[in-house]
Amino acid sequence: MSETATRSRTGIFRSLSPGQVVTAAAGILFWGWLAVRLLNDWGVVDAGAAPDEPFVDPAGLPEWIPEWVAFAVEFLPQMASGVYLTVVLTVAGITFGFVLAVPLSIARVYGTTSSYLSLAFTELIRGTPLLVQLFVLYYGIGLTSFLGGLPGVGQGWVPDEAVWVAIVGFTINSAAYQAEYIRSALISVEESQLTAARAIGLSKLDGIRYVVLPQGLRYAIPGWTNELVYLIKYSSLAAFITVPELFHQAQDISSNNFRYTAVFTLAGVLYLALVISAAKLMETVERRTSIPGVGRIKGRQ
Amino acid sequence: MNPLLRLDSVYKSYGDEEVLRGVSLDMEVGDVEVVVGPSGSGKSTLLRCVNRLTEIDDGDIYLDGDRVTAPDTDVNELRRDVGMVFQDFNLFAHKTALGNVTLGLRRVRGMGKVEAREKAMEHLDQVGLGDQADSYPAELSGGQKQRVGIARALAMDPKLILFDEPTSALDPELIGEVTEVMRDLASGGMTMLVVTHEMTFAREAASTMTFLDQGEIVERGPPEQLFDRSERKRTREFLSRITARHGDAQP
Repeated sequence: MSETATRSRTGIFRSLSPGQVVTAAAGILFWGWLAVRLLNDWGVVDAGAAPDEPFVDPAGLPEWIPEWVAFAVEFLPQMASGVYLTVVLTVAGITFGFVLAVPLSIARVYGTTSSYLSLAFTELIRGTPLLVQLFVLYYGIGLTSFLGGLPGVGQGWVPDEAVWVAIVGFTINSAAYQAEYIRSALISVEESQLTAARAIGLSKLDGIRYVVLPQGLRYAIPGWTNELVYLIKYSSLAAFITVPELFHQAQDISSNNFRYTAVFTLAGVLYLALVISAAKLMETVERRTSIPGVGRIKGRQ
Repeated sequence: MNPLLRLDSVYKSYGDEEVLRGVSLDMEVGDVEVVVGPSGSGKSTLLRCVNRLTEIDDGDIYLDGDRVTAPDTDVNELRRDVGMVFQDFNLFAHKTALGNVTLGLRRVRGMGKVEAREKAMEHLDQVGLGDQADSYPAELSGGQKQRVGIARALAMDPKLILFDEPTSALDPELIGEVTEVMRDLASGGMTMLVVTHEMTFAREAASTMTFLDQGEIVERGPPEQLFDRSERKRTREFLSRITARHGDAQP
């Protein structure tokens, strides 16, 4: 075990570099703000602002504060509701996509007929633009009216049908990409591991489940981080099927005040916060799940 | 009575290459059969045919009277009864020493957590690694890894254990700890089919020794016969070569 790994476990404050402190502080600020903002807007807690109104009046800020800060303060509440949907789409897409990707990748690596089916699915999805997929799902095949007709959709906490269509789209799309990442991770697990599993009497499927997957998924974490980061940004395409996520909100705001640079810079900063948070989260997952000799953590052989 | 293991003119080819050409042998319970031979002589293939990691082309293999080469044999059930120890250990990389041993107990034998753990610890103690139960393979020496491999096979209570060159990947100074465990098993009555170049082990622990060359059994008998009074030139030549390379086989 490397010295750094030992230190970060025992004395977390002593071992943080200035960069890590800044990142952590920014993270706490961002997620703290988002949580309070959303809970306030949903009426769960009263943080002293009307829904979608800034916590402080941007017009009443002291004069020495730059104008762009007041601008940000004014539009952040609306952006926050977009960030919320962006997070929902990303988390749902990566999670449901993962559930599909595992069997897809196993079929691809170990299957016969199913290998070709999995390959066909993956190529079809990876070979066509996500936007095309979303348009087919939203405008094309009647999924929208079907989902919209389900009881409860669009009422109270349940998002409306456009969001569900987007989740279906991102799930399918992400499944294909994740299947590729997991596939290459599975084939990097030595074949002798499955042989050993078979030799003690495990069926092929059990051998994959108990021996190959636990190792392969660890190898897949870096690729998985990539996919998560992409998905956060690709989720902006949901704006084109009317989902009021972050990009959509930015469009909405800028079409009223024409301050494109300011609005999209603000949106960009929020995306950046999400991406960095995701990368940090995955870093933690990788560290927590690391096993000596499995995966790629440095200093652990 | 049936022999525990019977190979009846087993043939196996990979493409045009005939790896096993009519190999027959019987093993009784408690036998320690050591198979020696030049590389490429089909020794490992022979072992892998017994637990059907490799399928044979012709002939029959019986375990305890059951024809394991029958098409309706449940291979997973067969492999419960036939342990295997690999040249490269093949320990489950993501499992601790203990986890390596309990996996089969839990998922194949269906044991509960506590029971599996107890049994696994017994076998780790048996190979002298009770204190390394929580170490991952990457944290163990080669000799320790192989002893975990043996414990993993033992824990399934097999009728027979196959050893596929168990010391060939080890540094010379680590070989002793593994052969010592194997010797203990042999004297404890475990039936073992061993492919090895360890001639000291062969001479001291084998009940029968088989010299396999080019897919055929050239000579088979008690180790003294092959070492000291072999009438076959091929056996004598091979054994003197291997003994010079892999240590003295004199008792």
